[in-house]
Amino acid sequence: MKELFPKQHVMGFGFSLLLTVVALAVVKFDMSFNMAFGILLVTALAQATVQLVLFMHIGESEDKKTLYTTILYSVFVGVVTILGTLFAMIWGYN
Amino acid sequence: MKIDSSLPLEYSTEENRLKIFGFWVFLGAEIVLFATLFTVYFTLQTRTGSGPNGAEIFELTPVLWETFLLLTSSFTIGLGVHAMRIGNKKAMMAFFIITLLLGLGFLGIEIDEFITYVDEGATIQTSAFLSALMTLLGTHGAHVTFGFFWGVAILIQVAGRGLNPQTANKAFIFSLYWHFLDVVWIFIFSFVYLKGLIS
Repeated sequence: MKELFPKQHVMGFGFSLLLTVVALAVVKFDMSFNMAFGILLVTALAQATVQLVLFMHIGESEDKKTLYTTILYSVFVGVVTILGTLFAMIWGYN
Repeated sequence: MKIDSSLPLEYSTEENRLKIFGFWVFLGAEIVLFATLFTVYFTLQTRTGSGPNGAEIFELTPVLWETFLLLTSSFTIGLGVHAMRIGNKKAMMAFFIITLLLGLGFLGIEIDEFITYVDEGATIQTSAFLSALMTLLGTHGAHVTFGFFWGVAILIQVAGRGLNPQTANKAFIFSLYWHFLDVVWIFIFSFVYLKGLIS
């Protein structure tokens, strides 16, 4: 039975539950919006990293350099799309 | 077909390795797809017209349940792939079945959430905010629904053909897809629900 529950996966699961509880702090406690947004950003990115590294084993195959490049490039395109659109349509520039 | 037995079944042939690589490239495209949907949501978030805003319709309890179910299902499918690597077909299938049931539970709560919104007069046509919200949530939910049927199809193949380089490869690629949906949900949970509840 024990060999079915590798330590790395159990730890990853525990860590992702912990991150969810930490993220919940933003609705349970009174804090500034910037502080809350910072906490959400950190916990969400940490969750994504837990999934990619511990569960999806992105670094296990010989293609790992290409995989990291592909995923980071996609994230870059996604972030530019989001921030660029907000910059052009919401925040504006003075 | 050259089989390298030092590698797990799903990586054991050149074709298998390339299929896994290709699926990661597809996930890259999915990241960009969801980024555009988040873009629309963030842009139209304040355009609530005469309808409700996020803080008025979001309910924390069902959202927490959805998060818990999806996180747990991501964990159990990880265990399923591990069981597959140690050649335990029974345990692998059990973990995949648990994963799919948790996915169904998630979908049940999400459907109930949508019905509640519509009952409250918050439909996809009410405001730009709700259109963007439901497109984002709906696209994720449609992925989970598709994943459910995909997972069932893989279970049928593993049950019938056993674990071989082909079925192991399919099961592993499906696990990547399922973990990815969990990642997308984490961003929805954080930047749609939690952020919506505080602003």
